Amino acid sequence: MKKPRTEITNESAKFVLNAYRPNGADAQDPVFRVALEQAARDPELAAWFKEQRSFDSLIADKLAEIQPPANLYSAILAGIANRSPIRRFNLRPLLALAAVLILSGAILLPFYLESLSTSKSIEQYQRANLTMLSSSPAPSLDLVTADFSRTQEYLAEMKAPCIPFLPGSLLDLPTAGCKSLHWKGQEFSLTCFRLPSGELLHVFVIDEKAFRSINVGDKFREMDGWHVKCQRRAGMLLMFVSRASMAEIKQFI
Amino acid sequence: MTHEIDLEAVVGRFYTSLYRFALSLTKNEAEAGDLTQQTFFILAQRSHQIRDSSKVKCWLFTTLRREFLRALRVQSSHPHVEFRPEIHDGPSISPDALRALDAKAVIDALHQIEPTYRTAVELFYLSELSYKEIAQTLEIPIGTVMSRLSRGKEQLKAILAAAISENSDKIIPLKRDEEAAH
Repeated sequence: MKKPRTEITNESAKFVLNAYRPNGADAQDPVFRVALEQAARDPELAAWFKEQRSFDSLIADKLAEIQPPANLYSAILAGIANRSPIRRFNLRPLLALAAVLILSGAILLPFYLESLSTSKSIEQYQRANLTMLSSSPAPSLDLVTADFSRTQEYLAEMKAPCIPFLPGSLLDLPTAGCKSLHWKGQEFSLTCFRLPSGELLHVFVIDEKAFRSINVGDKFREMDGWHVKCQRRAGMLLMFVSRASMAEIKQFI
Repeated sequence: MTHEIDLEAVVGRFYTSLYRFALSLTKNEAEAGDLTQQTFFILAQRSHQIRDSSKVKCWLFTTLRREFLRALRVQSSHPHVEFRPEIHDGPSISPDALRALDAKAVIDALHQIEPTYRTAVELFYLSELSYKEIAQTLEIPIGTVMSRLSRGKEQLKAILAAAISENSDKIIPLKRDEEAAH
């Protein structure tokens, strides 16, 4: 009698069964049906499948021991809570607007080229922030609180950009407070963290659209006696500034 | 059908498995935390683009992987991992020896799998994604997923067997003063 057409070789069955999840979630998936039937008939394949499932379960269990940092959940919620979603637009008016812009582009191009020479640069922004931090008396904060969530709620109320994410273990630090600021008509924010040594770590956040082009390194550099680092994340430019030692800063960023 | 996504519920449901996947990609806890936060932040910004809320799981894993690759391109530092060809045979490993390993040793073993196969295997174990979801996340055909799982798991077994054997073969010499005392 001929073998039924659904029978496959053990090698083919193993190939398919390798994708069978150890938690049994694929039991009803018809893709595995033929291979599972084959395993029920063939002792050699059944033994292989049993060993494979045991291996898969052990690996999955081992990896399930990895737990995220205790503060990650609250950090994620703090990051997304004050961020309103980008709105969807009706395409038709946008296309009409694009056509108008293209037509007017030719007329406005000379004016635009002229304006480039006076456009904002990151260097200017950084210098302005450092000048403000170095001024005497030191600038006052709008809100003084050790609670990071409160600072971000306040900034959201003021329509100032919030910190989209916190690198490393910065969330473990208490805040000193925050401030909503303007630079050349652009809103930006300052949140200050208190380092264990007592020095402050200042985090400025501004929409990266404020700049024509952004080219920042990923390392701290020395500027006017401050350690300064810029980082782009989620459409924002973050500027970290501190006078603490690099050894201390690196514990948190 | 379009559903409004409950962001807080989505974070609660997926942040642990997403963090594990991020850790397997970055090998660094702080970077994994950043990458996980970044992924949810992008979700908050673009939640309207997800028309089917049942697809949010794949969307999160796809986005996290894309963000990781984007960061790699920026750093221009693709890690090159060479797989040792002599351990392709897929030996059997005793469950007790496997249980004795810690999670970090398993993560290290995952990292030694050839890059072509590694991500499919990581998604299989770390996130318990089905082969269909892995295909969606990696944007590859289902047959390719099965092939990568098959080869990748074979490599994982060989790497773990080698690690277990290496540990059991270690000879710890007696200290000189202990030798003298005997």
